[in-house]
Amino acid sequence: MHFFSFLFDKHLDKTVLAVAVALAIVLLSLGEQSQIRSVRAITSVLLYPVNRVTGSFASVEALREENAQLRAMVATLYQERERLLQFGVERNRLRKLLDLKEDSFFRFLPCEVTARSSTSFIHSIMVDRGAADSVRVGMAVVGYRGLVGRVSQVFPAASQVLLINNKSISVSCTNRRSRVVGMLEWDRGNFFRLEYVGKEEDVRMGDTLLTSGLGLLFPRGFPVGSVFQIADEKGGIAKRVRIASFANLNALEELFIVTGAREWNDTGILDEIDKLEQRRIRKR
Amino acid sequence: MNIARIIFVALVVFVIQMTAIHRIAVAGCAPDLMVILIVSLVLERGPVPAVVIGFLLGFLQDLGNASFLGMNALSKSVLSYGVSRLGGGLLPENVLYKGFIIFAACLLNDIIVLPIATSFSIGEIFVSFFRYSLLSALYSALVGVFIFGLLELLTRRVVRPGVGH
Repeated sequence: MHFFSFLFDKHLDKTVLAVAVALAIVLLSLGEQSQIRSVRAITSVLLYPVNRVTGSFASVEALREENAQLRAMVATLYQERERLLQFGVERNRLRKLLDLKEDSFFRFLPCEVTARSSTSFIHSIMVDRGAADSVRVGMAVVGYRGLVGRVSQVFPAASQVLLINNKSISVSCTNRRSRVVGMLEWDRGNFFRLEYVGKEEDVRMGDTLLTSGLGLLFPRGFPVGSVFQIADEKGGIAKRVRIASFANLNALEELFIVTGAREWNDTGILDEIDKLEQRRIRKR
Repeated sequence: MNIARIIFVALVVFVIQMTAIHRIAVAGCAPDLMVILIVSLVLERGPVPAVVIGFLLGFLQDLGNASFLGMNALSKSVLSYGVSRLGGGLLPENVLYKGFIIFAACLLNDIIVLPIATSFSIGEIFVSFFRYSLLSALYSALVGVFIFGLLELLTRRVVRPGVGH
């Protein structure tokens, strides 16, 4: 009795604080419980309409400019695709001759960012596609310019994406020019370090890094960033290589979830471009 | 402020923090509206309700995070207790003083959050603290001063017509 009186009469404030701290520590050690996951799913659904409304306040002029840029980009990519298709057919024919597995394109599911982590040190976002759109945990997420992250949790109509600058994500990358492989580790902002690169390896300023596909966490061949600083570690056997990511991880809006493979001769993308073009003509 | 109003305001602030606050970020640092709300709620309350409010608002914030469930509940409980114990009695009506409390509360919040978020990596804790936390705390304090100032101005205007009668 004396003990309880000491706790609840004399030091009620400290007792409540201790209980709150203990409860928070228990929550921290819980891991991913299904009940919490479902509560988070509800949170994500609540956030979606609000984000749509705030997003619609974006400058019309900026949207018009972006639209013009995207149309120009589509036209360029259309030409480029035609050229690459020819290379692809030729490449696959040669790979077949060498008895290697045939390559394929990726299927992209467009999505929009609905929320960001409320804590600036946890790098994650919510997107508006979920299990209903066949999104699965582990799928890669890319932007127009390069790799962005990986789906970590899937809800019915939303998904949580851990960004590549999240502490728990390491990306295996390969140098497009010299094929040197290293592990990408976040440094700060949109800057990363490429770890495990030997002193004698061939890495130059401006080299582009692609996902290597090793470890099977990310599919092969997605651009990640470019080298902007190289230095030798004092007395070490490794190079210190710093990378600037192509995607601006602080300003993500429209992204694509890499949902699976697509054959080289799949013409679905052409139909999509035609539909966009038709819509644009109708609007005029 | 009654409980229903607190819940409503907390939900609005949570949604804004999650969806829109990044649009006013400066050099990657955005104000922490949750800390501003907590300071405004607990500054003139006793430590017991302060800890309960801090814990619940922190837990709400945790629901929107990808990982570390309980991290914000922990930090917000502690900072609510601190604000309530140390901050309330001195200059409760002074807007600049409230700004200072917000600044200190943001720093305390990050001191608790950073070791957990960085898995106790000392180097990253220091870099993140000096690169982001200080600026973010300053930004939050300025936003807090602006909000408190605005609220004070509005309250005066509402009260003034009644004074004459």
